[in-house]
Amino acid sequence: MSAHSAAARAAEADLAGAYFEQLRSGFELAAEAVGGPGRLDLEMAGLRLRLRYAGEPLRAALLAPFEHLAGVWEGEPELSISLFDTASSGVEPPAPLWDPIAAPPGTNPVARLRSERACVLAAAGSRALTAAAPAEGAAVFHLPDATAIPAGERAAPIREALQLLMAARGRPMTHAGAVGRDGRGVLLVGRGGSGKSTLALSCALAGLEVVADDYVLLEPGSLTAHAMQSTAKLSEDSAQRLGVPAAAIDPAGFQQTLEGPKKALVDIRTLAPGTLRPQLHIVALLAPTPPGLTSRFSAHTAEKEEVSGGDGVRSISAGEGLRAVAPSTIVQSGFGGGVSLAALADLVRRVPSYALELSPDPGANAAAVDRLVAELG
Amino acid sequence: MSEPRFRIGPEIVHETVDGEVIAIDLGNGSYYSLAGSAPAVWELLGGGATEAEIGAALAGQFLAEASEIGAAVAALLAQLEENGLIVREEGSQSASPPAPVAAGEARTPFEAPRLERYTDMKDYFLLDPIHEVDTAGWPRPAV
Repeated sequence: MSAHSAAARAAEADLAGAYFEQLRSGFELAAEAVGGPGRLDLEMAGLRLRLRYAGEPLRAALLAPFEHLAGVWEGEPELSISLFDTASSGVEPPAPLWDPIAAPPGTNPVARLRSERACVLAAAGSRALTAAAPAEGAAVFHLPDATAIPAGERAAPIREALQLLMAARGRPMTHAGAVGRDGRGVLLVGRGGSGKSTLALSCALAGLEVVADDYVLLEPGSLTAHAMQSTAKLSEDSAQRLGVPAAAIDPAGFQQTLEGPKKALVDIRTLAPGTLRPQLHIVALLAPTPPGLTSRFSAHTAEKEEVSGGDGVRSISAGEGLRAVAPSTIVQSGFGGGVSLAALADLVRRVPSYALELSPDPGANAAAVDRLVAELG
Repeated sequence: MSEPRFRIGPEIVHETVDGEVIAIDLGNGSYYSLAGSAPAVWELLGGGATEAEIGAALAGQFLAEASEIGAAVAALLAQLEENGLIVREEGSQSASPPAPVAAGEARTPFEAPRLERYTDMKDYFLLDPIHEVDTAGWPRPAV
């Protein structure tokens, strides 16, 4: 049978939609079992988002990074995500429709079942289960035990659910940070390890405005980058260089990451109070290059000195900007909740792209960002 | 026997910005930059084209010997096919064969096609593969 006809049959049966309904019923049972659901209402990316959870352990383990977006609003939510775990409620998720997948240490393979209406994602490594009906603005999330949450899930709580729901509302998750001043800023782009988090936190420590270090919700039409969580991931080396106090580092400490070096979660609210912003208007893309590494970006125009005053910022081509932001964004959203390459291409056509050779001095890097945003007026 | 036609592969997403083509292979995470005269070739591949049609179209656009252009096109098509960016279709017809350049249209100096490949996204595919579930059986690796 061809992949196409198999997919057509799966869609016809809408197994994904049925599984979503079953998981949603599981949440209702779980909420009843713990004496009623808890609720955290947010304003995220300009939308009313209601998080409902069956048991305080879920809020403690997963939802703290969203508290900075807490909002008070009237009426029904535009989006809702319901969370439960078996340890708190005793309620098991529906029987899986798939055989177990082997998840060698350090990997997190995902089983995906989807139809026109719904998408189910079962992560074999973290054992997180997400089912969403994006057009209806609803998702359900399940873990076996919220008190034994895997490091990866703590670093990116309910990311798949958010990604699926927000993409359906024209705010796709984009692999980029965002920092700036007075409501305007740059999108920090580049693959993992390029220095986005270190630069974003350098900016926060220098008093600039920060939306995120690694992932934003992007509204391409209005060039707006919206915040999700308040936490950033930082390597030991970067934490030392930035002088991050131990109090700002998550008690779980530095954990092995899928992509390489050990990293710890840092809450920007604790590290640099008052610097988090729910959104910034994007005026440029900026691709940091770690100190000591040869830049992969070629010199583009003579604008460099005019724009930067010789502080390591230089203009790069739109193609280089697209290459810095698009591949990791597209690849990481492979399950269907991502920004399209066309939208990112449109972005680099509308705003200029720059590279920043990072200095060992975090303050100098933040100052370079500050000047760039100011000069782009 | 008719000449094979080449088309952009089904798992390739691509955009052109400032004369550079960025193409991403959703099947394995590799991504590519096409520059020089390669974007002109890529544009023709969008509708499906034979090597001869591409060579003829480029000869109408660029100032160079037909043999030089032909050799460059052949080499680029081989690279694109080897990397899975294009697929070969035997005996199929183009919906609209590349239009010849109108007489009098200015030709520009020929720049050799350039293709650069980047594989730094492969880790994501190896660490977090996605397996499709469907009624035909399971698991069927999607990546």
